[in-house]
Order: sequence, then C-alpha cells, then structure tokens
Amino acid sequence: VRCQLSPPQRALQASAVLRRVSDEQNKEPLASSSQQQFESHPTDHQPGQEPQGPRPSYTGQGGQESEDYESEEQLQHRILTAALEFVPEHGWTAEAIAEGAKTLGLSPAAAGMFHSDGSELILHFVSQCNTKLAELLEQEQKQVQLGEAEKKPTDQFLRDAVEARLRMLIPYIEKWPQALSILLLPHNIPSSLSLLTSMIDDIWHYAGDQSTD
Amino acid sequence: AAAGLCPCRAVLARRGGALRPLCGSRRGLAAGPETHFGFQTVTEAERREKIYQVFESVAKKYDVMNDSMTLGIHRIWKDILVHKMNPSPGTLLLDVAGGTGDIAFRFINYVRSVRERQLQRRLRHHQNLSWQEISESYQEDKSKSLGDSQVVVCDINKEMLKVGKQKAQHLGYSEGLSWVLGNAEELPFDDDKFDVYTIAFGIRNVTRIDLALEEAYRVLKPGGRFLCLEFSHVSNPLLSRLYDLYSFQVIPVLGEVIAGDWKSYQYLVESIRRFPPQEELKAMIEDAGFFKVDYQNLNSGIVAIHSGFKL
Repeated sequence: VRCQLSPPQRALQASAVLRRVSDEQNKEPLASSSQQQFESHPTDHQPGQEPQGPRPSYTGQGGQESEDYESEEQLQHRILTAALEFVPEHGWTAEAIAEGAKTLGLSPAAAGMFHSDGSELILHFVSQCNTKLAELLEQEQKQVQLGEAEKKPTDQFLRDAVEARLRMLIPYIEKWPQALSILLLPHNIPSSLSLLTSMIDDIWHYAGDQSTD
Repeated sequence: AAAGLCPCRAVLARRGGALRPLCGSRRGLAAGPETHFGFQTVTEAERREKIYQVFESVAKKYDVMNDSMTLGIHRIWKDILVHKMNPSPGTLLLDVAGGTGDIAFRFINYVRSVRERQLQRRLRHHQNLSWQEISESYQEDKSKSLGDSQVVVCDINKEMLKVGKQKAQHLGYSEGLSWVLGNAEELPFDDDKFDVYTIAFGIRNVTRIDLALEEAYRVLKPGGRFLCLEFSHVSNPLLSRLYDLYSFQVIPVLGEVIAGDWKSYQYLVESIRRFPPQEELKAMIEDAGFFKVDYQNLNSGIVAIHSGFKL
C-alpha cells in the first residue's frame, strides 16, 4: 500500500482501503483478510466495488500516481453522488446519504458529516445539474462556432436551455417538492439563491449576453 | 586495618544507598509516569486503582447523584448526544465507559422509533397489496423491531456494569444489548467493527486519553463516527465563577449526604478542572487520525460534545 501519512496531508483511510481493495482485484487475488473486516456488518455491501467515477492510476503498475490521497471534500462529493440513487426511495434525507455511504463501503454513520435535513444533498444535486447544463450549452456553442448547427434565436435558446435543465429533474420529480421546501429554509436560502443566480448568469452568457452585471 | 575496612564499608554503604533510589525509580517505572488524580499527583497505576475504587463505591448511587448534581440536566445532555448521532436501524454502537447504560437505552429507544416510522411509511406504500402479503410483511417486520441495531456497553468497572444490567432488566431492555468488561485503553474488540463509538462522561477518567482515542479509531469501521460527551471548560468568566462555586461547595456536600462519599465527589469535581479544554481535546482527537473533528458546547461550555469521523 503506497499511501503515506505525511504530517501536513493525511491520506484518508477509506480511500486508501478502497485503493487497496481495487489493487487486489486488479492484481492476483490476495488474502481477503481486509475484506473480511468489512464483512462484520450484515448490511454492508461487498467492498469489492470500484469507487464511483474513473480515478486515474490506481494500479500503480509503473510511473507516478497522480493523487496519493483525496481530500475530505472529494469524499463528501462521492458520498453525495452515490446517495442520489437512493433519493426516489428515501427522499432527500440523511437516510439516503447513509445508503450512499454504504455503497462506497463506509459505515452509514458517515452520514453524520452532513446536515440532518438533507440540504447538502440537494445543493449538491442542484450544482451538479447546473454544471451539466453549462457543459451542454458550451457544446452547443462549439457546434455553432464550427458551423455544424444554426444559431438559435434568443427566446428559442432560452426555452431549450430551461427545458433541458428541467428535464434533469425527471428522475427525482416525486421528491422534488420536498427538495424545494428544504431549499427555502432560511439557513439554506443564501446557498440555493446563489446557485440559482449563477445558473441564470450561465444561461444568459451562452445566449450571447455581453453585459457585465 | 580499621582504616582499610572503613573505606570498604563506606563504599558498601554508598552502593547500598545508590541501590535504594534505583529500586525506588524502578518501582516508579513499573508503576508508570506521574499523572494527576484530581488535584493530587500520583503514578498512572495508582490513578487507575483509585478511579476503580471511586466508581466501585459510587456505582449504586451513580444515577441518583447525577440527577441531584446536575438537577436532571444530564438527561438532556445525553438526549442531545443521541440526537446528534441520529442512528439509523442497523447501526452497531459501542458505548465505552457506559456503565449504567444511559446512552445505550436512549440509543435503543431512538432506533426503535425510527424503525417504527420506517415501517409505517412502508405500510402506506403497501395499500394495494393483498391481505396475505400484508400479514406476511407484518411477521418479518415484527422480529426486527430494532432493525438489526446493536449496542455493546463496555466498562472497566464490574460494579457499574452490574448496576447497568439490573437497570436494563428493570426497564425491560433485552434485545440488541450486550455488556462487556473492558478497558478503554485496550479494547477487547477486533478492528473495523463498529459504526459509532461513544464515551459519555468517561474519557475524563481514562488515564491515557491518547491510547483510548487510538483504540477508538481502531475499532471503528471506515466512515464510523466518534462521539465524546464530557465536561469541559467554561469561557464566560461570570458563569465560570458561579460554576466553580457550585462545584466545590455544593457537590461534595451532596456526595456526602446522598451517597455517603465526600472524597469521590471531590475527585469528580477536581478531575473536571484537570481535563483538557475543548480545543486541546479536538487536537488530540485529530492526532488519533480522525477527520472532520468538531465540538459543540452545551450550556456555554459546561459540557461539550466532540465528534470525529474515521475516513
């Protein structure tokens, strides 16, 4: 195991263990003692799952590793992303986050890192959707620049952008009213409002608005 | 000749004298470095022994004394701890220094009510099933009223565990509860076993807090949570004065009147003053390897809840 606990930046044990597990998968099947320690909890999933999303240079067959550790924030993002698939069943709650943590091989107690009303999960989802929208609009703009597509008139463009953004809600549409009500709680309004305004800025930017405000 | 003998004797006497302090320090080394017991200075072994005796003698009156000293507020502190934990059914909890079971019982109650709510929600979705399917689901749910949650109460003191077991019987807690005799500095459990580790008003009595924190890190699963409820330091000067007055004048007297034991409660009050303050404990928890370490002051610092995650 190549993780080093250097004083300024400590490797997160969970990511180290996940890396060890995926190493064992990629190389010869080593003794499964570390996996057995996970087995202690009956409802834990098999730890032999690859962490969500591609992570570069895990096998360390040669050359450098790009990252020796991940920060707490990145781990939190991964937990929240994993939790999204449980939202239709559990709603935007700490339970969904606990289930998400379980799929990453962590104890469900890790959901305690987040606020118990599920607001961080919703904000994470919203910012993910906004990022996807921005990428979509960026691609469209490239296509227009390359001459592959026609430049749309402004109102059509806006309509399409808003429609695309709304369609991202479809998988979660049953629990979306709950999400909106949580986003309107006073302590959440600053973050949700800022996400909203930056999304609007993005849409207008790609619609061709050159103003600086 | 006499002059010849004398230097020998002198040498012998000196060697004898040299040996004696050596014996003393060896005894000291075996007993361990110096530490504190309340405001006294003792060796580590002596401290462990004294603390064991303190709890042995107060065990039977522990709960009564807690109520009278804190005017019942300790119940609210413990409620807040379990609320903060927000355990879901299926959680495995290790409650260290949990002697009389206060945290364990609250955990069981909490998990039971969460489970009931879960079952109710599931029933609402079952409204289009046949009668047979519904009754089958009742059966399987009934056997899991705790949803596989378990709490292991670990304490170093047999008397405290005895009182705890009696309380459990009296209050009707049977399933999901285990009682283990063990030392927080050297837990009799395997690595990566528990979802949550709590120590409520216990870490103050541990002689080597760093060892206890390392053990906590060891037995927790990745993603597991460390929670510590403990008396801490009050920063508000006015409140601090009142608190000191109450602690040193009232509490030992209560101890004598109710439990017949002035000294144990004198120790208790002094040990609170000797315990590291919030930030220092937070640093110690981070040193043990925990991430996202934070603390929450209750009653302006009279009590603090420290939380950390094994990531």
